Amino acid sequence: MPCAESLQVQAYVDGETDAMASAAIEQHLENCAECRALHRDLLELHTALHRELPYAQTPPALRAQIMRALDKESGAAHLPRRTPGIWRLRSYWMGAVSGLVAASAAAALAFVLIAPPITSPLVDELLGAHVNSLMSSHLIDVVSTDKHTVKPWFAGHTDVSPLVADFDAEGYKLLGGRVDYLEHQRAAVVVYQHGLHVINVFSWADSRRSLPAQATRNGYHFACWKAGDLDYCAVSDTAWDELQGLVRLVQGASALEQR
Amino acid sequence: MDDRRRRFEAQVLPYLDDAYRFARWLAGSSEGADDVVQEAMLRAYRGFDALRGSDAKAWLLTIVRNCHWTALKQQQRRAQVPLPEEHDPQDGQALIAAEPDPESALIRQDESRSLEQLVAALPEDYREILILREVEDMDYRGIAAVVNVPLGTVMSRLARARAALRKNWLQQVKGTPRAVR
Repeated sequence: MPCAESLQVQAYVDGETDAMASAAIEQHLENCAECRALHRDLLELHTALHRELPYAQTPPALRAQIMRALDKESGAAHLPRRTPGIWRLRSYWMGAVSGLVAASAAAALAFVLIAPPITSPLVDELLGAHVNSLMSSHLIDVVSTDKHTVKPWFAGHTDVSPLVADFDAEGYKLLGGRVDYLEHQRAAVVVYQHGLHVINVFSWADSRRSLPAQATRNGYHFACWKAGDLDYCAVSDTAWDELQGLVRLVQGASALEQR
Repeated sequence: MDDRRRRFEAQVLPYLDDAYRFARWLAGSSEGADDVVQEAMLRAYRGFDALRGSDAKAWLLTIVRNCHWTALKQQQRRAQVPLPEEHDPQDGQALIAAEPDPESALIRQDESRSLEQLVAALPEDYREILILREVEDMDYRGIAAVVNVPLGTVMSRLARARAALRKNWLQQVKGTPRAVR
């Protein structure tokens, strides 16, 4: 007879439990060898599935075919075919660009300017990931305030090993970690809480795609930088200086770590 | 480009890859998936006004799933396979304990199969939920919406699918049955 808590353990691994339930399960795990084994196996299985199941992407030909079908559907078929993607995005981003130029002029921070902020679909991707994480109750995959739990978890679930540290004393509490699919890789997300705000710190292997040092989209602030061979981007609806407070802490800590 | 199309491209198109992956797992082949995805994107575009602030990914994957079943019915290429016994969603535990070895019943034992093959061998009801969770990274509520079953059923099917993989794959990898530490 399996332990009565096994579905709860599964929910915990799936990030479906709130802080209180998570704490109860963590305590149960200490006392129940069976659930400890289940917990370990579920994590192992999750890692193996991510590693071994194909992560297919839409073939370009199919994507193009779908776009044509949509053109036809929206009655745009008779219009001259325009360059897809880039141009649409460009006009879409024009508004953001002017804001970015002003923001980077004002930036007194020693951010590494990764590339001139002309267009950045990546910011769009990051915005989507951030908003999704807030909406979907899938904010955190591994709930822990302990960096020694979060950091090894990333090793099994993501393609990168970012800096993880708790800055509770400075007002940025570590909530846990999450994996998001970004830039065609499994990006690591470290989740912090600052007051009532959630700050997602995304990190992924340097992709050489242009990324603005700072951006604001839909009311969310983005602060991006490079450390070693990783790209980082902190996203939140906090005030700018609060977001940059965390950025400085993370940058400082990773500089120490790399020494 | 009109505004509706622009909104569709901003809200729904980012999930095209998710739709494609899910369709591939449902259809079992890339050719079948192509048709399903294209039909699903068209239907999504036509019905876009119904989205209204709900979870776009779950909404799109629901359409993909519907298109898959419609295509399947039209082709009638498969005889009806009896679905695994439905169970009380509240009672996942009893289900797992009901048979002496329910995990083996889900997947036919085989010497060495890749994890992908083992997943492919799961009954569809279980596989789609596992894929939505582990590949599409959806939460229970989203999965329940896509598959149209109660939350408890999502949890119990997920547990059974994982128990089957745990037994068949982890043991295979480790070589010996796992002792409880």
